[in-house]
Amino acid sequence: MTRASVVGADMTTFGVHERTLTELFATAALGAYDDAGVGPDDIDALYFGNAMGGQTENDTHLAPAVAAQIGLAGIPCQRFEDACATSSNAFKNAVEAVEAGVHDTVLVGGVERCTPETGLGTGEMTRIFASASDRYYEQPTGLTFPGVFALHTKRHMHEYGTTEEQLAHVAVKNHANGTRNPNAHFGKEITVEDVLDSPVVADPFRLMDCCPFSDGASAVVVTSDENADSFDNPVDVGGVGHATDIVPLSAKPVVQATQAARDAASQAYEQAETSADEMDFAEVHDCFTGAEVMASEAIGFFEDGEGGPAAAEGRTAIDGDRPINPSGGLKAKGHPIGATGTGQIVELTEHLRNNAGERQIDGAERAVAHNLGGDAATTVVTVMEARE
Amino acid sequence: MSLSHAEWVDALRDGDLLGVRCPDCGTVYGTPFAVCNECGSRDVEMTELPTAGEVYTETTVEVSPVGFDAPYQVGIVQLDGARVTGRLTGEVGIGDRVVLDGVLEANDEVAPVFTAE
Repeated sequence: MTRASVVGADMTTFGVHERTLTELFATAALGAYDDAGVGPDDIDALYFGNAMGGQTENDTHLAPAVAAQIGLAGIPCQRFEDACATSSNAFKNAVEAVEAGVHDTVLVGGVERCTPETGLGTGEMTRIFASASDRYYEQPTGLTFPGVFALHTKRHMHEYGTTEEQLAHVAVKNHANGTRNPNAHFGKEITVEDVLDSPVVADPFRLMDCCPFSDGASAVVVTSDENADSFDNPVDVGGVGHATDIVPLSAKPVVQATQAARDAASQAYEQAETSADEMDFAEVHDCFTGAEVMASEAIGFFEDGEGGPAAAEGRTAIDGDRPINPSGGLKAKGHPIGATGTGQIVELTEHLRNNAGERQIDGAERAVAHNLGGDAATTVVTVMEARE
Repeated sequence: MSLSHAEWVDALRDGDLLGVRCPDCGTVYGTPFAVCNECGSRDVEMTELPTAGEVYTETTVEVSPVGFDAPYQVGIVQLDGARVTGRLTGEVGIGDRVVLDGVLEANDEVAPVFTAE
């Protein structure tokens, strides 16, 4: 079943950008217009994501500001914030609006700057990122975001015997994929030894287990199933699942299960009348290597406890039997928070159009995107399909 | 509210750990909730948690936010049916027994500190 279709998609490179938030978003948005062959007059609403502009750049009420840059003044524009799942939630709401007939064609996207271009150093940015952990029952301990996912991952290692070397293989694979992605923040091959020799950030995570601070923007044009036929290259959205887990982390019954991802994936597969087995690849939220291992199990690509061995055996490589993060993932492509969710939609769209260049998953017809926010308490999972 | 954040903090400073218990389904939480997330009951009651338990998961933070000096260990401690996040001392790992041993005052907030039993 098709809920809506993506008919235009573009992103900036993820990396370091001097351009302002509105300039960055405009770059991706105009690219998405051009890809779809539309202009501002064809867009009925803007669903926009930015997570931290208020904290990082004293920049809020951004939806009208970015809209004005790209000719959308006058139409309804709204901003979403759900930590790292910000723009996938904007995407979910856009799909629902189009499906319900509220709007015909909408622009969806996100932007963020997280590098020292914001004027903020690592300690200050680490504090801002930690604002997505519980204000009263986690932040006072000095818990960081690498720390949050370290708590998940150490329990996963305890339960299943997942090893630091298996985690390192996730980083090695994603960096290799990043070399094939011209939009990636990092384009350099690394080895397992490089990862295991890098300094510890929050054990078991070393520097090279962690995604970078990135700047960037992404945008897609979403239209209804009926309208999509009049565009050159539509890709269908079969399902978008969205679930919320309890916070803080200490209240989650099984921390390493990332239950919201399991619930969101079930919803997305059910809406699309498909299953994990039918997916040709996945883009998952690998903010840390352990997060990819847990995500690969939560979306049903592997049994619980098999995610680590699968990564070490090369099963998740582009030429493996269950490819994950051909883009390089957050780890190598980069993670400009508010741009990450729709960045995954851009990646799925390119593969399902058979247009992903050196990293193309051969013959890809169906794929799944997994984007989480905070301690994985927000997760949005999207299933997309090539249009017949 | 059966337990406020202020009450949780005051108790912690006195050496007590408070949580909430749902009388309808029996779920116990280590932090306040107005409504039980398991069964939806609004009758959750304040309950005193044991101050000794077992490390459920832990990490040592080596890169800290501003206002904290790394390295330090943070973990989640299982206290019978509830869990609480706090600082850990004494080089403990998952499964090790720990006991509440004071509080960390940081940026006008407070966190429990557990040490090896």
